[in-house]
Amino acid sequence: MGTYRFHTPDGLSDMLPEDCAAKRGIEGKLRQLFSCGGYREIETPGIEFFDVYAGGDFVAPENLYKLTDQEGRILSLRYDGTVPVARLAATIYKEEEPPLRFCYIGNMYRFRESGGGKQREFAQAGVELLGAGGAQADAEVIALSIASALELGLTDLQISIGQVDFFRGLMDDFGINGEDAVLLSQLVDRKDSVMLEKMAARFNLSEEDQKTLSMIPTLFGKFEILELLASRVKSPKATAAIENLREILSALDDYGYLKYVSVDLGMLRGLDYYTGMIFKGYTHEVGFPIISGGRYDKVVSVFGRDLSAVGFSIGITLCIAALHRQGKAFSNTPIDVIVGFEDENGLRKKAIDAVRLLRKKKMTVILDVSNKQEQALFEYAKKRKIQQVIFLNKCDCGKDIEEILRK
Amino acid sequence: MITIALSKGRLADKAIELLESAGYNCAAAKQQTRKLILEDKEAGLRFIMAKPADVPTYVEYGAADIGVVGKDTLMEENRQLYEVIDLRFGACRICVCGPENLKGRLDRIPNKRVGTKYPNITREYFEKTKRESVEIIKLNGSVELAPLIGLAEVIVDIVESGRTLRENGLDVLETIADVSARMVVNRVSMKMKAAEIVPMLDALREKLAEKSAEDEL
Repeated sequence: MGTYRFHTPDGLSDMLPEDCAAKRGIEGKLRQLFSCGGYREIETPGIEFFDVYAGGDFVAPENLYKLTDQEGRILSLRYDGTVPVARLAATIYKEEEPPLRFCYIGNMYRFRESGGGKQREFAQAGVELLGAGGAQADAEVIALSIASALELGLTDLQISIGQVDFFRGLMDDFGINGEDAVLLSQLVDRKDSVMLEKMAARFNLSEEDQKTLSMIPTLFGKFEILELLASRVKSPKATAAIENLREILSALDDYGYLKYVSVDLGMLRGLDYYTGMIFKGYTHEVGFPIISGGRYDKVVSVFGRDLSAVGFSIGITLCIAALHRQGKAFSNTPIDVIVGFEDENGLRKKAIDAVRLLRKKKMTVILDVSNKQEQALFEYAKKRKIQQVIFLNKCDCGKDIEEILRK
Repeated sequence: MITIALSKGRLADKAIELLESAGYNCAAAKQQTRKLILEDKEAGLRFIMAKPADVPTYVEYGAADIGVVGKDTLMEENRQLYEVIDLRFGACRICVCGPENLKGRLDRIPNKRVGTKYPNITREYFEKTKRESVEIIKLNGSVELAPLIGLAEVIVDIVESGRTLRENGLDVLETIADVSARMVVNRVSMKMKAAEIVPMLDALREKLAEKSAEDEL
């Protein structure tokens, strides 16, 4: 008998009925939405070979939950939905003509510090659109993420869109590469204007280039900031990135979603993973983005197939927290009826028939299993906020169910 | 409403002073009270008085929108935050210190034991920058004691004037970083509350620029 028998491991917790109902509700809505968009749901194993995640250097190995199989090979709990889908697309579906559309809904496991809403086990839903390059595909995925949040009732929504190639192109313009470029990207991502200024001076950037660099972290907007930045860069890569964003915005306008989005070219996390557009979705009352996505054209190639990819994931656990805190909580399914019966010949069968009939009418019905007498049953129902009590006694012996229920 | 997490003590006083000079009413935060949450509905500000090491945590999780905290704490906690303004007060250095006779000989001691309140900064510095494995001994205060009684060869700590060091026969051996107070912002708040936060940052930056112009005169 260990000391831990009363506890759940750090970062993992029991999901109680209210949250569980909320989770199932969210899953159902998202499943419906994804499936109507032609995204086929798949379920990859909860445990993968460690190599699946470690192969592409996309995940820091210390963030993976690791175990070993009987042969001593290292396994890892499912860390995200994207990498297993990439594995599938390059193996089982390698003959299938692109574009491929897949979606997933499941629990992910990340070995990291937890607390304050960030758990080590958490539920995510997401989609992957594989083998479709270009702004049209980018916009489809962003639009689907917005539709997802709206469908769940998260209408206070802000989507920030960035483009990592803009920064890469800018570095080409500046002649900065390697570790220096990585350092600058981290500073931009942290919006650390102080250090950026110092570094800009160290790299002997011209005054105009310094100005461009200092703009990136603070510039939020739509078409106007793209205009502004287009005039300040020369690199074809950066120019193409801006053109890509312009097309994405214009497509999102057609979706009617332009009001939710703003461009933030300073978003540069996961620079070695993303290859183009990246985006994050925010709402009130949770400190982390609820939506995260982008284009990662190199991920599938790790598994031997050259296939572009764009996708997003939405944090179901975070959405539940947001909905709760925004006062849009889900109610517990109430119990409509409790049925009790006197210990008389034939009454139990009648009670069971009555329960079945009511449940068929989509009511939530409990059959009393503790032989409560009429008075006790009413008291119990009152305490548990059960709407209605049906108690079968001797007088009901001769009646049929319909007649009893009419009472 | 913007929630600001302040590091209890001198940094909080300085931060309040700066906010007031930029035109924000901080009367709530200046109450002589033991309350940990101080709110002024009219000014739209709520202050949380936190232990410095906890400020980055409050802000990362969105329990506070903004935080004021030393760069040393930020380096140690390494959280995902926007680090937007160098507030310049609370300036000091984070250094490797030890007995004076170790000056210039630090690299010659193998398998060093390092006493510190900052295990993460220490590991980062020795492992990444100096490519050296060290034994880190986590301490919670009076770190200078460690080399004096033979618990560690050197320490990593913040140094302001260096007086405590000198009085204990210790000296700065290497400087890891210059640090000062920073303003940090939660990544979601920056987007969702931009209408309140961006003007505040602009006002503070302007005030700081004025101040440094005065200092130069």
